[in-house]
Amino acid sequence: MSDATTEIKVMAASDIEVDHDALDASIAEFTEVNGAYYANAFHRIHDATNAMPKTFNLWAAVLGPIWAASRAIWGMFWTFLILEIIAWVQLGRGAWGNPGAELAERAAGQMERAGELRERAANATEQADVDRFTKLAENIQKAADTTMEQSVAAQAEATGIMLTGIALLLFFKLIQGAYANVVYEKQYSNWRIEPEKTESGRKTSNILLGVVLAAAIGPLIVYKFTVNSPLALLDAFPEDEVSALILGADQGTLFSSVATSLEDTIDGAAVAGGDVFDGIVNGIRQVLDALTVALNGSPWPVVMLVIVVTAWRAAGPRVAIFTAAALGYVALLGYWEVAMETVALVGASVILCVVFGIPLGIWFGKSSRAYKFAEPVLDLMQTLPAFVYLIPIIAFFGTGNPPGILATIIFGMPPVIRLTALGMRGVPESIKEAAVAFGASRWQLLKDVEIPLALPSVMTGVNQTILMCLSMVVIISLIGGGGLGKEILEALQYAAKGPGLLGGFAILFVAMVIDRIVQGAFRRENQT
Amino acid sequence: MSESVVKLTDVWKIFGARAEEAMAAVKSDGIGKPEVLAEFQCVVGVQGATFDVPRGEIFCIMGLSGSGKSTLVRHVNRLIEPTAGTIEILGQDISTLSEAELRRIRAQQIGMVFQHMALMPHRSVRDNVAYPLEIRKVSKSKRWAVSDHTLGLVDLTGYEDRLPKELSGGMQQRVGIARALASDPEILLMDEPFSALDPLIRLQLQDQFKALVAQLQKTTLFITHDLDEAIRIGHRIAIMKDGVIVQIGSPEEIVMNPADDYVREFVQGISKLKLVKAHSIMEPPDSYKGDLEAAPRADHGADLDQLIDLAVGTDHPVVITDGGADVGVVTKPTLLRGIQGGKNE
Repeated sequence: MSDATTEIKVMAASDIEVDHDALDASIAEFTEVNGAYYANAFHRIHDATNAMPKTFNLWAAVLGPIWAASRAIWGMFWTFLILEIIAWVQLGRGAWGNPGAELAERAAGQMERAGELRERAANATEQADVDRFTKLAENIQKAADTTMEQSVAAQAEATGIMLTGIALLLFFKLIQGAYANVVYEKQYSNWRIEPEKTESGRKTSNILLGVVLAAAIGPLIVYKFTVNSPLALLDAFPEDEVSALILGADQGTLFSSVATSLEDTIDGAAVAGGDVFDGIVNGIRQVLDALTVALNGSPWPVVMLVIVVTAWRAAGPRVAIFTAAALGYVALLGYWEVAMETVALVGASVILCVVFGIPLGIWFGKSSRAYKFAEPVLDLMQTLPAFVYLIPIIAFFGTGNPPGILATIIFGMPPVIRLTALGMRGVPESIKEAAVAFGASRWQLLKDVEIPLALPSVMTGVNQTILMCLSMVVIISLIGGGGLGKEILEALQYAAKGPGLLGGFAILFVAMVIDRIVQGAFRRENQT
Repeated sequence: MSESVVKLTDVWKIFGARAEEAMAAVKSDGIGKPEVLAEFQCVVGVQGATFDVPRGEIFCIMGLSGSGKSTLVRHVNRLIEPTAGTIEILGQDISTLSEAELRRIRAQQIGMVFQHMALMPHRSVRDNVAYPLEIRKVSKSKRWAVSDHTLGLVDLTGYEDRLPKELSGGMQQRVGIARALASDPEILLMDEPFSALDPLIRLQLQDQFKALVAQLQKTTLFITHDLDEAIRIGHRIAIMKDGVIVQIGSPEEIVMNPADDYVREFVQGISKLKLVKAHSIMEPPDSYKGDLEAAPRADHGADLDQLIDLAVGTDHPVVITDGGADVGVVTKPTLLRGIQGGKNE
């Protein structure tokens, strides 16, 4: 209910005056120091109608990056710190560096060698030797002369390099002077939108930081690039010296001592928890054995028939034909048994991933606190290169198929956990509330509402997990895993091209068959 | 007044980590909503709500979004726990119930309908309606029979095996109503059930709902942000603002005697023709200094609409009777003022 006393005056855009006073106050608040100067500069920028407003900030030009630091324009600070250092390096190379020094040194070496040869020629007794040495000496002398000439020429260029450096430096200063106010005005605009997030004013801490950074970076770089024999300390990190400083002399390096103690710790833990680790290995072996008996114990025609029929039911006749052909290839080349071992390995991994992953996913979906702790672990499981965790797995679980499956699970489980949690979170609150309002218990809520509604996401997770497990087939053969991966590893060790290629195709076909069947099944499910 | 079905006594809800402290401060120092937010970082949802709904009544709770009406209604089936106060369902204090007893009450005594339907997308219409019975472990044949019967009540026979997404919004909400009725509850909680529907469907559903509830004698708490809807459906209306119930009364009382400016502002646009009765605008018979012999007669319960029909046919005022005796008179200026809605000169 507004009473209509507020009068609104309408005027044409051309008649509207810019209210400088309000703006000036805001600019002064932003700049804190030199408000009047920047108010004037910003007005020029605001009034400008072309891309290049006519302002020049003398202090920005003179002080360069330090000015940018003082005004907390860190992007500009870093850009021009690097550019100015490049200019200074040129300047330094010309002024006190020695561009021809290396060549001169080489020329001196060559001349010495020529002298040596001449001496040998003089001392030679046979005419053939004299001729040979003289000729060689002449050639080398010629080369030395050329090098010397180049050296002189390079030295002569020194002035040119120095002038280039000065020109570059002046150019960068000019750019900074011309653009400083424009950049600062951008910062001011950001500050108006987000005053908390954008730094304003001129702070001593920022100036200090800028000076320290410039002083630490600039002189060292210029020194390293302009002086011919810089300190060895700057070339490589002095790890041996530092190790000696921390551990005392003759105690080995930091690396060796930490590695040794880690090794002892792992060995100790492996012995201490031996029963637990053996139990885990045995559990995995049970699952694997059951699958191996089913796939390799059953007569091969039965297994083949079941796989082809499954492909047909799940993904249609085309995939069934492809499956039959792929199985034919595997069987004809004698890979049947190892291929089935691979399928059993992948199958056991996927089963374990799903059995543990889905309940974990449900838990993480319901408890955001648990998920917050689990998230970095899941990230680690997916990003850590497999080779890194193969070593502790060997230490704790030994080698063979079960540890291989364990490695596969580490890599393959995150997708099913993540997507289950995602699906659980995606269940609309309103539907959950409705079920609770009608008296559903927590179990009924989970069974009737949350799981059914999260199912599509869970299935996507299972699908991804299957593909991730397949990709581990070759890697686990490094720790004694069997199946097709082992064939490839052996072929690799002997650089056996033929067997390697055939085995590779076998893996490819197995993977494609599993992928096609799973994809087809999901596609069919999603359509209905 | 007949038996009380839902009774709230001084119910408070304060959201936030320090709700208990804030509640204590409110009780002892009587601080208000802004102070609670500033001091305790807690939001006051409901402030001291007290009302009593007898059997068979449709009790509308009207307020704008954020007024706490949805929060208030969720206290009745304890989807939200009150910070203070008591809630009685059929004479039983529900805060004393165990988890299992509470679930039983929710499944048997209280049906709820939601603004966004909240149907389960993976179940057929029939299985959605049958879900409250399924929770109570009723046999499949029984719950399908009940479900089909209830769907008949809301005119959805023939859609039992469809999925909710195949139905229009209005039909989906009828499924929602059928689901709420399926377990034959004593109480219906309607949380803005018709506000997401387009106006024509809304009118239809309002009428259908009113008739259905009258027939089934359900005690209903009906949440709405639309005063027209509240007047059309409710026997009594509670108006909420910032968590406080500002006024409770029949539609006529609300329209004729708004408790404060806030309610008055709402009531302004409401048509009074069918709402205001003769007895609330009539003046004493002796205040009219003319002959009333030829004047038309109307019952004291007649509404303005009927009085207008009588008044246009005569030069006389309309005489209001109660059981044959003349109790009052309505002149044309009085009538016009009445149509304007109790505007005080």
